[in-house]
Amino acid sequence: MAKADSVGQFEQLVLTAILARRDDAYGVSIHSKVEELAHPKAVSLGAVYVTLDRLEDKGMIRSWLSDPTPERGGRAKRCYRLEALGEKALEESAVTAKRIWDGIVEVWGKEWVRGLNKEWGKRPGREPA
Amino acid sequence: MPGPPKAMQAGVALLIPPACRVEVLGDLLERSASARNPLTHYCIEAALTVPLVIMSRIRRTTDLQLLLMHALALYLSYFTVAWLTDRTMLWEPWGLLRLAFPGVVTLLALVLEDAYAKPRHRSPLRLAHGPLFGLGWALLLEAGFWTSLPSLTLPLWILLGGGSLGLLLTSALRLLFSPPSISPQGRV
Repeated sequence: MAKADSVGQFEQLVLTAILARRDDAYGVSIHSKVEELAHPKAVSLGAVYVTLDRLEDKGMIRSWLSDPTPERGGRAKRCYRLEALGEKALEESAVTAKRIWDGIVEVWGKEWVRGLNKEWGKRPGREPA
Repeated sequence: MPGPPKAMQAGVALLIPPACRVEVLGDLLERSASARNPLTHYCIEAALTVPLVIMSRIRRTTDLQLLLMHALALYLSYFTVAWLTDRTMLWEPWGLLRLAFPGVVTLLALVLEDAYAKPRHRSPLRLAHGPLFGLGWALLLEAGFWTSLPSLTLPLWILLGGGSLGLLLTSALRLLFSPPSISPQGRV
C-alpha cells in the first residue's frame, strides 16, 4: 500500500468533513462541516478551496462536477470523495490524535475529561464524548 | 432581500479562472441565498474567496522550473539584442535592470494565461498565446514608462528584437515542456 503524506490540522478537518458528508460533499457543505469542527475558529470558504485543491494534488481526494441545480443559479457543484490515500492519512491522523488524547488523560486524569465534556456539552452542535 | 445582481455575478465570474468558475460561483450564490443580507454577504464573501481561488489555481498551473527557464530565456533575449546592437546601454545606470522589466511583465502574463486557460483547450497554437500576450504587456509597460519615467525605457530596437527573440524562445519552451494545466483542475 502506498504511504500517505502527512497532513496538517486543517487538511485533517477537510478530510473529516468530506468523510462526514459522504455523497453530499461539495464546497458549501464541506465548509459548513469544517466550521463546525473548527469551532470557535472562523473558516473562510477560500481556505477550504485551497485545501481541497492541495489534497486533490496529493491524490487524497477525487472531484467531479454534478448536474446543475436551480438554487445555485443553474450552476453545477464540484463534489468530492476520499481516495484510498486520503482514508489512510485520516486513519493515521485519528490514531495519532487518540495517542495524544490517551497521553493527556494519563497525566491530567478523569476529572479533566469530565470538565471537558461539561464544557463541550455547552457548545452548539457538540455532543459530549 | 434581493440577491446579487446579474452584472455583479458576471463581474465576479470574470475574475475566477474558468477551470473552477462554475462551482465557485454556485457556492457563493448558495451561501448568500441563506444570509440575512444576501448582497452584502455575496460581496464580502467574493472579495475574500476569489483571491485565494486565483492563488490556488496559479499554484496548480505554474511549474517553478519552467518559470525559471522562461525567466532566463527572456532576460537573455533582451540582453543578447542589447549586446549586439547597443552595448553602451548595458553600462548605463540601471541598464541591466531596465532589461528585466519587459521579461518580468511577460512572465506575469504567462502565469496568468496558464491560470486562466480554459481546460481541455490545448493546442500548439494556444501555447503561443501566453508569450504573445506577454509581449503585448511588455510593449504596454514600455509605453507607460515612455510617458511617465522615460529614463527606464528600452530603445525601441532592443525592445522589439528582444521581444521577438523572447517570443520564439518561450514558445519553444512551452512546446517542449507543456504547462501543467491540462486537466480541468490542473496538475492531477
